[in-house]
Amino acid sequence: MSSSSLSGRTFEGAAREDGTVGVRDNVLVLPSVICSHLVAERIAARVDDAVATPHDHGCAQLGADNEQTQRTLLSIAQNPNVAGTVVVGLGCEEVQSAEVATALESRDVPVRELSIQDVGGTDECVEQGVEAATELVQSRHTTRTAADISDLTIGIVSSDLDASTIESADPLVGRVADDVIAAGGRVVVAGNERLVANPEDAREAATEDARDSMGDLLDRHEGHPARATRVGQFTRNRSYEEVTRGWGSAPISEVLSYGERSTLSEGLTAVDAPSRFAEATTALAAADANVVVHVTGDGIPSGHPLVPVVKVTGDPGTAVALPDDIDLLARQADSEQLLERLLDVANGEMCLAEEHSLTEFAITRVGPSM
Amino acid sequence: MAHTFEGYRRPDGRVGVRNYVAVIPTSVAASSVASAIADEAGPWARATPHQLGTSQPTPARRQTERVLVGIGRNPNVGAALVVELGTEDISAETIADGISNSGKTTETLAIREVGGTSNALVEGVSRLTRLKAEADRATREEADVSELVFGVECGGSDATSGIAANPAVGAACDRLVEAGGTASFSETPEFIGAEHILADRCADEETRERLLERVDMREGMAELMSVDLRGAQPTPGNQVGGLTTIEEKSLGAISKGGTTAIRGIVDYGEELPTNGGLVLMDTPGYDVESVVGKVAGGAQIVAFTTGRGSTTGNPLAPVIKVTGNPKTWKRMSNNIDVNAGTVFDGESIDSVGGRIFETLVDVANGRRTEAEHRRLEEFAINEIQPEELTTEVSG
Amino acid sequence: MKGRVLDDALLQLSTSDNVGTTVDDLSEGTKIDSDGRDVVLVEDVPFGHKVALESVEAGENVRKYGEIIGTATQPIDVGEWVHTHNCESTRGRGDRAATGGETA
Repeated sequence: MSSSSLSGRTFEGAAREDGTVGVRDNVLVLPSVICSHLVAERIAARVDDAVATPHDHGCAQLGADNEQTQRTLLSIAQNPNVAGTVVVGLGCEEVQSAEVATALESRDVPVRELSIQDVGGTDECVEQGVEAATELVQSRHTTRTAADISDLTIGIVSSDLDASTIESADPLVGRVADDVIAAGGRVVVAGNERLVANPEDAREAATEDARDSMGDLLDRHEGHPARATRVGQFTRNRSYEEVTRGWGSAPISEVLSYGERSTLSEGLTAVDAPSRFAEATTALAAADANVVVHVTGDGIPSGHPLVPVVKVTGDPGTAVALPDDIDLLARQADSEQLLERLLDVANGEMCLAEEHSLTEFAITRVGPSM
Repeated sequence: MAHTFEGYRRPDGRVGVRNYVAVIPTSVAASSVASAIADEAGPWARATPHQLGTSQPTPARRQTERVLVGIGRNPNVGAALVVELGTEDISAETIADGISNSGKTTETLAIREVGGTSNALVEGVSRLTRLKAEADRATREEADVSELVFGVECGGSDATSGIAANPAVGAACDRLVEAGGTASFSETPEFIGAEHILADRCADEETRERLLERVDMREGMAELMSVDLRGAQPTPGNQVGGLTTIEEKSLGAISKGGTTAIRGIVDYGEELPTNGGLVLMDTPGYDVESVVGKVAGGAQIVAFTTGRGSTTGNPLAPVIKVTGNPKTWKRMSNNIDVNAGTVFDGESIDSVGGRIFETLVDVANGRRTEAEHRRLEEFAINEIQPEELTTEVSG
Repeated sequence: MKGRVLDDALLQLSTSDNVGTTVDDLSEGTKIDSDGRDVVLVEDVPFGHKVALESVEAGENVRKYGEIIGTATQPIDVGEWVHTHNCESTRGRGDRAATGGETA
C-alpha cells in the first residue's frame, strides 16, 4: 500500500455480533411501505440517534419487483451502522411489517414492529413508534472498538461518466479501492450499465466463483434500456477499463443482486444497481457498506440515511458551484488524502452531506406498479 | 344541496379550493432541498418530492415531465417554485414554462447557481416568501360546483368497499356530473373483470376501444412478470378483508365512479376536462401514484374510500377519506372523514352519497380533511419501467 | 344497499349470485334461512367474507354482483367459506402464461 502513514491508523467503531464494524450507531425506523413513511419520518425526527428510510414502494408490486423491495428492506436493517430497527407498516401491504420484523429477529437484530391499522391510526402509531425507538436507542449496549482499514467496507458509486469523472475522479477513487483491499478491507461497487455494455470484459473481470452470478446479472439486463440513461449511453462508446476506473484493479469476487448482502470477508463486490445515486447507495448499504464514496461530476449533494457519503468530484466548476457540498476535488487530492478523509469520517467526523443532513433513500424497481 | 362554493379563480379560468405555493423538484437530486425549503417556509408551501428525473429513457422522462407540469398547473396552486440541481435531464425551465403558460407566477431555483445546499435553503425560502405575496393576491370568490374536477380513489379495500363506500361515493359523483362537473376515477388494473360493464357505458367507440386496450395492457404486466396478479391485486389486506380475486375487487371498485356515461379516458397525468362528466384516467392501482396522476390532471379534491384504513393524503389536493367498514371507522376515525358503514344499519346509499357530496362542498370551501390536519401528504410519480419499453426505444 | 340481506346474516347482491357476503362475524353452525332453504355454516366466517349459497363444482364459476368473480378450485358445499383457498381468478394469470397456459 502506498500510504504507510495510514496503515496503522485506527478509528473508533461499533463492533457488531457478526464481526462487522459500524461507523455510525443509529436506530433505524423502517417503513415497510410508502403509506407509513411519513409516520416513520416523524418518529425518527423526535428521537435522537434514530434515522428513517422513507421510500415509495412496498405496494402494488409483482413477483421479482416485490421480492427486490423486501430483500432490500431486510438487508439494510442488518447494515453495520444500524443498532436496532423499528419496522412501521400500514397493515394491508404486500411487504408486511410483521414478516420483516420476524426475519430480522431471527438474524439477531433487535426489532420492534408496529402497524398503523393495528394501533388505530397515524397519531397513535407515531407515539408508540417514538416509545419503541427511544427504547431501542437507550438499550444500545454497543461495544466500541479500535478498528482499522480492514474493517472498512467502502461503497462506491459514480453517478455519471463525465470526462472529469473518467479522467480524474474515478482513477483517484480506484486507487483508494485498491489500497483498502490490499489492507484486507472490502469494496462494494454499483453501476450495472458498465458491465452490461461490456459483457466479455465483465465475465473476465469476475473470479471463477463469481462467474455464474455475473452471468445472471448480464441475463437480467439483456434487451432492456438502462435506467440511468445517460450513463447507459456513455458506456456504449467507452471501453470497460474507462468506465470502471473507480472500481480499482482487483478482480470481482462477488456479484450481488440488488438488495443482497455481501458474504465476503475481503475483496471486491459488484452489486446489480443502476448508476443513480440514491438507488445505488441503498444497494451498497444493503450489501454491507459502512461508508460510501460518491463520484459526482454533477455535484448531487444529497446524503443517505444509513451511511456517511463522501462526495468527490473531478470537475473544478462543480467544486466551485457547491463548495459546502463537495468533500474532495480530485485534482487537488491524492489517494492518501481521500483515504484519510474516509478514516476521519469513520471515526465520527461528519462528512459534508451529514452536516446539511438532507438525505435521499430509494429502491430500484424491476417491474411496473400495479 | 349547495351548488356553489367559494374558490380561487386562476388566470386560466379554473378554480382552486386551496392556495398553495408549490415547490416542485425536477429530479431526486433536488428533492430533499425542495422539501426542506417548503418545511422552513411554512404550511402554505407544499413540496412534491419524488425519486425520478435525473436521467430516464425518453418515454419515462416525458411522463415525469407531464406530471410535474400538471401538478404545478393544478388550480390549488397559486404560485410555483421549480427547483433543480442544474444538470439533470429534466430542466427547471421546461417545467416552469409549462406551468407559467397557465398564467401562474412561477420561478426557478438551481442549486448549482446559488452556491450549493445551504445557500439554496436560504434563497429558496426568500423566493417562496415572494411567491406567497403573489399567491395571496387571489381571494375566494363564488364558483359553481360544476367547476370541480372530483377525483375518486379506493385503497386498502375490503368487501365493504364495493358494498357501501364505493357506491356511496359513486352517488356523489352522479350528483356532481348531473350538476355539470367532472368526476374521474382510475386504477386500471381494478377494471379487470369488470371492464365489460364500463365498456357498455362508454359514450363513443373510441373511448370504448381505448379503455379495453388499456385494461389489456395492464393485465399484460402480470404476464410480463410471469406471476399471478394476486398478491399485488388483490393485496394481502384486501384478501384479509374478504376480497378473493381481482374480478371481485374490480366489480366493487368501479361503483365509485357512479352510473353515468363514460365520456373519455385520459393518460396518466394528462389534463382532465372541466364540465366533462365522468372521465377515466389510465393509472396503476397503486394509490399514491394514482392520486398524483389525477391531481396532475387538475383534480382539486379527491375522495378516497378505504375498508382497511389507508391514511395517505396528497400535498396539493385535500383527500376525503370514506370508509364503509364500521370497525375501521371506530378504530381509525382520526384518519377518516366520512362513515359509510351506516349502510349496514340501514342508511341508504343515496343518503350517504348526499353526505359525501356535502363534505365535498365543505372541503371546497376550506374545511380541512383529517389528512390535511395531520399533513399526511404522500407523493410519488409512476415511472414507466424499462421492462415495459421495447428495445427499439432509444433512451 | 344493493341486493338483499338473508336472515340478517348474508348479503346477496344479485339473484344469480351463488355466494352471500356476511354482514357480521359468523360462527360455525349458524343457520341462515335462504328463501325457505337452510344454509348452515360449516366453519367460522369473518365479516365481509363469502359463504356458498349453492354447491359449486370444481372449475365452476363463482358469482357475485351478478357477475363471475372466479372459479372454484375444488368442490364447494353449501355453507362453506369461499375464499383464496378454494376460489381462483381467471384474470391476470401471468403464472399460467409463464407455463404456457391461458392468462384470461
